[in-house]
Amino acid sequence: MKLVIDENRCKGCNLCTKVCPYHIFREGKKLNRKGIAVPELDRPERCTNCRLRNLYGRQLCGVCQLTCPDQAIHWIDEEPYEPHKVAIEY
Amino acid sequence: MTRTEFWQGNTACAEGALAAGCNFFGGYPITPSTEVAEHMAAKLPKKGGVFIQMEDEIASMASIIGASWTGARAMTATSGPGFSLMMENIGFAIMTETPCVVVNIQRGGPSTGQPTMSAQGDMMQARFGSHGDIAIIALSPATVQEMYELTAKAFNLADKYRVPVFVMSDETIGHMREKVIIPDKVERVERKPFVAGSPPFRATDPDLIPGFPLFGTGQHVHVTGLTHDERGYPCATNPGLHMALVKRLVDKIENARDEMADYEVINPDAEQVFVAYGAPVRTVLQVMHDRKDPNIGFLRIRTVWPFPEKALAKFKNAKRFLLPEMNLGQIAREIERHTCVPVKCIPKLGGELHTPSELVAALEAQP
Amino acid sequence: MSFEDWYRADRLPHIFCAGCGNGTIINCTLAAVEQMNWKREETVFVSGIGCSSRAPGYILTDSLHTTHGRAIAFATGVKMANPDLHVVVFTGDGDLAAIGGNHFIHGCRRNIDLTVVCMNNQIYGMTGGQGSPTTPKGALSTTTPYGCAETPFDLCDLAIAAGANYVSRWTSYHVKELEKAVKVGLETPGFSFIEALVQCPTAFGRRNKFRQVADHIEFLKTHSLLRAKRDRLLEKGEPVPEDMFVVGELMRRNRPAIGVKP
Repeated sequence: MKLVIDENRCKGCNLCTKVCPYHIFREGKKLNRKGIAVPELDRPERCTNCRLRNLYGRQLCGVCQLTCPDQAIHWIDEEPYEPHKVAIEY
Repeated sequence: MTRTEFWQGNTACAEGALAAGCNFFGGYPITPSTEVAEHMAAKLPKKGGVFIQMEDEIASMASIIGASWTGARAMTATSGPGFSLMMENIGFAIMTETPCVVVNIQRGGPSTGQPTMSAQGDMMQARFGSHGDIAIIALSPATVQEMYELTAKAFNLADKYRVPVFVMSDETIGHMREKVIIPDKVERVERKPFVAGSPPFRATDPDLIPGFPLFGTGQHVHVTGLTHDERGYPCATNPGLHMALVKRLVDKIENARDEMADYEVINPDAEQVFVAYGAPVRTVLQVMHDRKDPNIGFLRIRTVWPFPEKALAKFKNAKRFLLPEMNLGQIAREIERHTCVPVKCIPKLGGELHTPSELVAALEAQP
Repeated sequence: MSFEDWYRADRLPHIFCAGCGNGTIINCTLAAVEQMNWKREETVFVSGIGCSSRAPGYILTDSLHTTHGRAIAFATGVKMANPDLHVVVFTGDGDLAAIGGNHFIHGCRRNIDLTVVCMNNQIYGMTGGQGSPTTPKGALSTTTPYGCAETPFDLCDLAIAAGANYVSRWTSYHVKELEKAVKVGLETPGFSFIEALVQCPTAFGRRNKFRQVADHIEFLKTHSLLRAKRDRLLEKGEPVPEDMFVVGELMRRNRPAIGVKP
C-alpha cells in the first residue's frame, strides 16, 4: 500500500507530523497552487499500514488518517508493486 | 355510517387529526390548548402513534419537524406564547419544506395576557411571525365541526404543499361544546412521491413542489435551514440562488391561493358586507338570522392565509366591509390592501365575543 | 470499506479552518459507525448550528442541519417517530450547553436512544470567538476581553447528573480512544454522550497562547487525566491537579431508555 496526501483537501495544519509514531511526515516547504505547504513524506516505507496492511488484511495504526481533520490522508494500492528498502532504526 | 358526537372544540381538533392519520404529536401544555395534547396522549398510543411531551414549545416544534422527515403526519398544539417560541423552527420548516400542522388556540395577548380568554391576536404573527420572506397556510374554524374538518384538512394541505399549516382557532371555539357529525372517512392527500436519484430539492412540476424524500429510504438527503441548492447543499452566499429559492417557497403557496381558497358568500348583492373568520362568525350569523335583510352580506373565511382576495370581488355592490375581529384590525388591514371599498373594523379585545347588538350598532352607524 | 466512504466526497474539502479538530472528531465518529455495520439508509445525523454542526453536511446519509441548540429536540422527533433509525447528533459546546442546555438535560432525563458527540472547542468559533459556557476561567475571547470570569460547565457531569446512560470524555488527540468511546456509545441503548475537546486555532488558540495547533494538541495531551488515575489519586487522598481535566469513560449504566429499536 502507498500513503497519499490529497493536495486538494490538505490545509497544511501539519497535525500528521505530530501524531505519526514513525514520523513519516515532514512539514512541507513548497507552497502549492492553493498557497498551502502540504507535508512531505519522509521514508514512508516505515509506515506499518503501508507495509503490512495487505499481509494482515486489515487497517493497522491509521492514526494519521483518523487525526487528519481534512480527510486528506488515504492509502492506495501500488500498481505495479514497487519494492522498497526498509530502513530499520535502532 | 356517520355518527354524531357532543365534543369540545379541542377534542374535535384532536379527533380530526387522528381521522386524518396523525401519528406523531409533540406538545407542551399551555392554556387553552392543553386538551388537544391530553386527548392525543390518551388516543395516539392506542393507534400506534407517538405522543411525546417535550420540554418547551421550541422542542415541540423541532420534534414534529424531525418526525415529519421520517414520514409521520406530525402535529403540535399551542397558544400565543408558545406560538411565539415556535417561530424560529416554523421558519426552519418553511425553508426545508417540511409538512407539519400547528394548532394555535389563541388567547389574549401580548405576553401572558389572558390565558383563559379568547382572542384573534396572532393572525399576523402566523403570517409574518417567522423571519425572512415566507408564505404559509392558515385556516380558521368557527364551529366545533370545523375544528374537526379543518384540522383534518390541514394535514392534507401540509403534505400537498410541503409547508407548515396553522389551524388558527381561539379559546371560544376550543372550549365550546357542540354537536359534531363525524364522517365515515376523511379525505387523505399524500405527499408527492420522490423520484429516486433526482436532486431532493429540485421542483420540476409547475406547482413548484419537489417530491418528498423520506428519511430511511436511502436517498441520503441533506436537510438544512441554510440557503441550499437543489441537492440540499448549503450555498449561503449565492445571491441568485437565494432569490430563486425564497421566490419558489413563496410562489408555491401564492400561486395556489385560488385553489386553496375556502370561503362562503351570503347575499352577494348586499351593500353592507360583514367579513369574519373564527369565533366572530357566530355573532354575524346571529345578526343575519335576526335581521334577514338581503342588504346585509356575509363573507365567511376559512382559509385566512393566503388571503382569498377574490372573494371580496363577489360583492359587486358592496359599499362597506364590516370586520368584527377579536384584535385591533389585523385582517382588516389585509382587506384594505385588496379593495377600494371602505373597510370598517369592529375590534373587540378582552376575551368576549362581539354581541349581536354591537354589530348592529356598527351596521347602523353612519360611516 | 473504510470510514472514508461515509463522506460526501463531492463536498470536501470542508469549511473548517486549517488545524481545526472538528474533522478529526468526524473521522472518529464515522470510524465507529463503520464498525457498527449500520446501513447507510438507517443512519441519520442531526446537528444544530455552529462549526461542529456543519458535520452532517459532509456525511453521505440522511442528515438534518437544524436551528441553533435544537439538534437533540429534532433528533428526539426523528427517533421517536422511527425507532429503526440510528440517530447520531453532532453538536458543539455553545449549541449544546448554552442555547440547547434545556434540550440536553431533558434528552438525558428521557434517556432517549441517541448518541450525542459534542465537539467542545470552548468558544463560539463560527461567530468569531465569543465566550461560551465552557470557556475556562481566565480565558480570553472577544466577549471576555479581560478573561472569562464565569465558572465553566462540566458537560459530562451535567449529563451524568441528568441521567445519561453512557458518558465519556476524550480529546482530539486521543483518536483511537475516542473512536472506541463513540462505538460504545452507539452500542449503548439510551442516551450516550461523548464530549471531545477539540482545538480551535482560529478563535480560541489565537487568543490563548495556542497560536500553533501543535501547542494546543500538546496541551490536550498533557492536561488530560485518565479517570483511573484520578480515582487512584482520590483513593490515596491526594489532590487532583486543578488545571487538568478527566478523560475516559465516566459513566456506563443501564437506566430504562426510550426510543430503542424494538
